[in-house]
Amino acid sequence: MMFPKKYQSIAVASLLILMALVMISYNIKLFSHTGFLRKLVLEATTPLVSLKNKSLKVLQENWNHYIFLIGLEEENKRLRKENALLSNQRVQYQENYLEAVRLQRILELKEQLDVTAVAAEVIDRDQSSVIKTLLIKKGTSQGLRVGLPVLADRGIAGRITECSWHVSRVMLITDENSNVDALIQGNRAHGILQGSGSEGCHLKYITKTEEVKVGDTVISSGIGGIFPKGIVLGIVKSVDKMDGGLFQKIGVSPSVNFDKLEEVLVLVFNSGEGK
Amino acid sequence: MIYYFLLLPLVLLLVVFQKSVLDLFFFGRIGVEISLILVIYAGFRMDTIRGAVLSFIVGFFMDCMMGSVSGLYTLLYVCIFFVSALVSLKVYAEGVILIMTFTFLCALSQGLFIVLFYKIIYDVNMFRNIIWVFLPQALVLSILSPVFFKMFDVFKGSLNDGNPRPAKRS
Repeated sequence: MMFPKKYQSIAVASLLILMALVMISYNIKLFSHTGFLRKLVLEATTPLVSLKNKSLKVLQENWNHYIFLIGLEEENKRLRKENALLSNQRVQYQENYLEAVRLQRILELKEQLDVTAVAAEVIDRDQSSVIKTLLIKKGTSQGLRVGLPVLADRGIAGRITECSWHVSRVMLITDENSNVDALIQGNRAHGILQGSGSEGCHLKYITKTEEVKVGDTVISSGIGGIFPKGIVLGIVKSVDKMDGGLFQKIGVSPSVNFDKLEEVLVLVFNSGEGK
Repeated sequence: MIYYFLLLPLVLLLVVFQKSVLDLFFFGRIGVEISLILVIYAGFRMDTIRGAVLSFIVGFFMDCMMGSVSGLYTLLYVCIFFVSALVSLKVYAEGVILIMTFTFLCALSQGLFIVLFYKIIYDVNMFRNIIWVFLPQALVLSILSPVFFKMFDVFKGSLNDGNPRPAKRS
């Protein structure tokens, strides 16, 4: 070593400080000039810096994405809730609209008949193979009684067979125990409409001489004292004259869709009142 | 010799790390100059030649990374290194309080020097930075310095087969 050991520190310090001062002087003089070593360091650090920046960018994107997802989840929850609410409201509005349409039809029917009528809500259906009945939420306390005709918006539904204070049972025209005096609207042929269960109804006692076509409307005749005259019962769906008897075999499809019946109208006649 | 081979990439990594990643923790408002703590550490616990070379290189890299006048940080770091070395000869330089206080003073002095340098050379008034930049930086560095001293001890120990402080100072 060219310096004694005890002066080594001073020598190194002096040398390095001198170098630094030279660097400063040189750099101040040529500030616009980038030195070779400096360029080298900048070149060497560029990949590191870009790698860092990329990593940070990825991290930042992931973080932002994460934050975004958190926000999105919240928004999703809110929108789902809102959607469910709106769906419920829409269904409710639709229900109200459909109910209004049905009630409107019943009201029109009521006005046509010009008799006292009581609207009732259907609360239960018994549509098993043998018995075809409905339960309606009106009874004797509303003036109902056994035997009164029950109408739906599209025609005759049946008649009351049981009546309690607030609930009544209606036997549908499709019940096999149901018999309604009927007419075929086109040719005025007279017969009895009997329930046939799941097959609908069939019109009895129409002679083979009568001209009956599929699609003819069957209406109530008013005879029998229960149903008013001229209310639609159904549409002829099949006509069979090949049978050996005197009468035709006529299948009738009820005009009322009992599966979707929700409100009915009970016609209240005073005892002995003519229809 | 392995020390000098490792020195360049490790110091470069350190400077890049402190310039980029650590800045994020303080939102770019306070520069956490670990390199300064390293120079003080070198002054306290390394032999003169190694420490001086380390300080010179760290200073030079800092100049390159900070975009300052070449030699400014180099000069500062070399000076701080020798002052630290002198202090460590006169006092017991192991206490946490001393390390923190000394780091605080060095950081503040460095800031003052930079401000004066720019004022004298370029006539740029940067005095308000003393309060808003260098003082908080000095505080943060002084708080962090004991932790980094421990870390440097561990690192140095791993380089010296588990002996963190070989007695090398002359």
